[in-house]
This record gives sequence, structure tokens and C-alpha cells, in this order.
Amino acid sequence: MTESLLSIKGVEKHFGAVRAIDGIDLEIYENEFFALLGASGSGKTTLLRMLAGFEIPDAGQIILDGKDVSRIPPNHRPVNLMFQSYALFPHMSVAQNIAYGLEMEKLPKAQIKSRVDEILDVIQLGHLAKRKPDQLSGGQRQRVALARALVKRPRLLLLDEPLGALDKKLRGEMQLELKRIQHEFGITFIIVTHDQEEALVMADRVAILKDGKLLQSGTPREIYEHPGSRFAADFIGVMNFFPVREVDGKLIAEDGSVIAAGTPLSAGQQGVAAVRPERLSLTIKAENSITGKVVATAYHGLDLQVHLKTPAAPEPILMRLTASDAEARPVAEGDEITVYWAARDTRAFPL
Amino acid sequence: MTDRKPLYLMTPALVWLTAFMVVPCLLILALAFFRRGIYGGIEYTFTMENIALVFDPLYAGIFLKSAWIAGLSATIAVVIGYAAAYAIAAAPSRRQATLLFFAVLPFWSNYLVRTYAWIVMLNREGLVAGIAAWLGYDGELPKMLYTETAVVIGLVYNYLPFVILACYAPLSRLNPEIAEASRDLGGGGWTTFRRVILPMTVPGIATGFVFVFVLSIGNFVTPALLGGGQFQMIGNLVYAQFLTANDWPFGAALSMFLIAIMMGLLTLQTFATERASGARRED
Repeated sequence: MTESLLSIKGVEKHFGAVRAIDGIDLEIYENEFFALLGASGSGKTTLLRMLAGFEIPDAGQIILDGKDVSRIPPNHRPVNLMFQSYALFPHMSVAQNIAYGLEMEKLPKAQIKSRVDEILDVIQLGHLAKRKPDQLSGGQRQRVALARALVKRPRLLLLDEPLGALDKKLRGEMQLELKRIQHEFGITFIIVTHDQEEALVMADRVAILKDGKLLQSGTPREIYEHPGSRFAADFIGVMNFFPVREVDGKLIAEDGSVIAAGTPLSAGQQGVAAVRPERLSLTIKAENSITGKVVATAYHGLDLQVHLKTPAAPEPILMRLTASDAEARPVAEGDEITVYWAARDTRAFPL
Repeated sequence: MTDRKPLYLMTPALVWLTAFMVVPCLLILALAFFRRGIYGGIEYTFTMENIALVFDPLYAGIFLKSAWIAGLSATIAVVIGYAAAYAIAAAPSRRQATLLFFAVLPFWSNYLVRTYAWIVMLNREGLVAGIAAWLGYDGELPKMLYTETAVVIGLVYNYLPFVILACYAPLSRLNPEIAEASRDLGGGGWTTFRRVILPMTVPGIATGFVFVFVLSIGNFVTPALLGGGQFQMIGNLVYAQFLTANDWPFGAALSMFLIAIMMGLLTLQTFATERASGARRED
């Protein structure tokens, strides 16, 4: 994990007046599962296409294994891409689809066959080797697309929204499956996704992109617990925001209540204090407290989500009560309740 | 209720086709088995003579010649048309409609006028000869008009727009990520074309080819005008039987064979299209 495999250095890409990628620097390490996370239009797909060789950067370098590959065409890069649409060849069987990339390497027939069989075992589709793509389910097609890229044993495997087309349950299974396969093959994966949960669950490290710029990168825990900006805090997970103003070293909310935060604002600055719903509690006396009226509750099985209207925030704030907490202290719509949270769980961002 | 509606809606078309397509075809089929009257007309006695005559080396030769001309025209039209369709499909999407419009533009003028235009182009004092002279060529040009080549040129020219449209359809529907996938897996441009794009667009090629072939093999206007009666194609022969030789039964027999060839080809084409679009789903 410590050896750098890929260096992205000052890469830029413009389409007409649009700066799709506006100067990105990123190191990706050997054997890493890396996620590029961003909303649509953030530039994540453009960056991925540059890594695959379908777009040439207007400036900067893409260095793979110490070699600048930014101008090498896709068919000469040790990089493979699993397309969002899977892009399976409809006129070829599953086995022919997978063998295609090996045939391009002009490997001996016997070797191609054994590698195809081997990868079919990994994705557990050996019994469907003779089927055409349109005779497969969405999940099976996804695995064929993965196998077709993986069988080439690339230095770097790129996955463009690999789970986007699958239903929720299958997506959960495939997240773990992808991680298992990545470990087993020891190949560096870079996944592009707009789904922050997917990024957190699968990746060793996550980079958040916005408007073609790198906003923050780090482990899922770092990104979730220590978002570097208001945007990142809002984009990853759910966050409660309280508009505040700094007065004499304290953060004062709109209704005058004082909020203690782990990170300070500079003197007199306008900003927001932020806290995660799961950090709010009904029982623990902590530095911060706020009283409000329950406007809605939603039962999610795992937890009870309580929406609280308080004068300290323009939007109702959300707290998540675990099933056992909710049983110990029932909360109903219309109740007036006080919630507590610790200063160390509170972040403050300037506006 | 919902089951019957399509039937009501189809009735006018079915009546029309039955009255003006199926019935005449059956009449032609029947005609082929009767004897020719001594002064033209039909003698209603059963005979196989007309059918046997089709296989006479003289007429079988004309069939083969027609098939050769039609096949050559279809092949040339497909090569040119596929390339054009590929270029149109690769153009920016807002320009594709304009390019297609220009590709089919010749259709809006009369077939005869367009074919006559080629006479003007190809004759000894025509445009081609003029250009050759202007370029400084003062030798003897090979005879162009009233040759097999002129007929092929005319047929390719007339049916090319069909081929462009037929090939454009599957090419424009191709997911660009599929060609990219081939590149990504190590395929060069030519390999990607040969192993991925071409096989996926076979239905368009088959449709275009069969279309030109079927329209060419039965054509009698182009061979008459550009071939100058130097050689006959099946269409001319059928025309002659009905309108000059007054041998309706033999004309009918020739027509039946022509129709049979066309039907066979259309069946093959349907088969090829189904195969290329992948095997049927099993679930």
C-alpha cells in the first residue's frame, strides 16, 4: 500500500469553455481500492476516461509505474475499464467476450482457454459460458464485464459506476464481492461513483471531486468524521447544520444558544456548526444541547429517525435513535425534547 | 376486444394487398402452366413447356447474367454506401440529419430523368469525355455508354441511397462504449471494426445488399437505356414476352422464377438479421 502506482500531476481538461478537470493532483498506491466520488458534472468520469486513454489531458501528466502514459492510446495501456453500460459485445458469447482481450495480446489458444475458465470460476458463471449477453440478467452481465477487464490482469482496473444499474440488494452483495475480488487479484481498483455510501463501504481511500477540482481525499473515516468543507460535510452522509456567528471565542446560533465546536472559526466570522445525526443523544449530558419539537418520526427498523424543529436551525434537524434507545424513551410527534451532543463531535465551517 | 382491434385496423391493407398483389401473383402463376395461343393470347390447356423453356441455356444464361449484374451492383453499392453511412453516423449528431437529407436527395427527382442524365454523362461527347479532354487526355476513350459497366453504374447510382439508409440505422444505434471497450481491451482501429462494428451491423449490410440485388435483377429500364439493348436482363426479357412477343405464358414462367429468387433472398436476409441480433431469449 505504500508504493505509488499512479501519479496524477496537475491534470487539466477543457471542453470548449468548460473546465471539466481543473488541475488535479492525486497519488494512488499499489493494491489500493480507490473511489472517485462526485455529483454528475464533477469531472469524475472525464478523469477516469483520461486514465483509460480515451481523453488526452490538456495539461499535466499521468504517470503509471514511473512512465508518463497520458498520450498512450487505450489499446497500449496496462489499464482496463469496466464501462458503465458494461459494453459487452452482443454478438459474442460470454466466453468469447472474456477471451477477446487475451486474443488481442496474441496469447496461445490453450493459455487463453485456461485463463478464461479460471476467471469464469471466480465470477461463478462457468455454466453460462456459451450464453449471449442478452440471455443474462443484469447482475450476470455486470460480472462478465468485470471478468472481461480483469482477465487481462491490468496494472490498474477502472470501474465506471459499476453497480449503478443493479437493484439495492444485489448492489450490497456486489460491493463485498468487488472487494473480495480486488483482494484476491491484488490489482489496484479505481471506482467512479456518485453514491457516497458505496464509496465509503468499498474504498480504502476516497477523493471528492467538485467542478473539476479535488475537494478532499482520505480514508472513508477521515472524510466522514472530518469533512474539510461545508460541501464535503453535506455531500457525505447526513449532517445537521446550525448557522452561527463567532462572538468572543464562542459560536452563537440564530436563537442565541451557544454551540461548542471541536474546530474554531476566526473572530467575528459567519459560518455553520455541523453535527452528525447519530451523535445526537437524549440522555448523555454533554457540552451542547438544543430543545425542539418533534415534527416527524420515521421507523427504519434499525433505527428511529426523529425530525426536530428548533429555533436554532432553519431546517428541522435529524437524530437517529437506536431501536433500544427508542424503546427506553418513546418519542412521538408533537413532543418537546432536548438533545445533547459533545463539542468534539461538532465541526464548524466558515460560510 | 383488444385482440380484435388490430385486425380491424389491418383490414383495408389486407383487402388491398389481396386484390392487387396476391390475386395477380396467383394469376401469373396459373398463366405459366398454359399454352400460348397461335396468334398471341392464351390457350387453356395444361403444359410444362414454359417452365422447361426457362432452363434452356439461352434463357438460363440471361438469368445468370442478370444475377451477376445485380450482385456486382449490390456489392459496389454496399461498399460505397456503408462507408458513407459510417461517416454520417460518426458526424456530430446535429449534422447527421442534413447529411442524410443530401444522401436521399436524388430520390426526389424522377428515376427516368436520372437515368437519362447518365446518357448525357457517358456518351462520346458527354461530361466524362469532356472532363477527360479538359484534363489533357486526347486519346481514344473506351466506350462507356451502352455497356455492362454503364448499366452497373446506373443501378449503383440509383439504389445507393437505400444502402446508406439501411446501413446508417444499425451504425447510428451502436453504443459508442462498445467500440471503446474493444480499444480498451487492446484492439486497434481495424480490429475493432472487423471484429466488433462490422458483425454488429451485418443486418444493415444484408438489407442493403438484398434491396439493391432484388431491385436490380428485375430492372428493365436501366438496362434498356444505359445498356442500349446490347444485352438483355431478365426484366427486359419478361417485358418483351408480354409486350412484343405476345407470349404471356412464357413471360409468366420467367416472372415466377424471378419472384422465387427474390423471395429466397429476402428469407435469407431475414434469417441473417435474426442471427445477428442474437439468439432469442430463453426465459
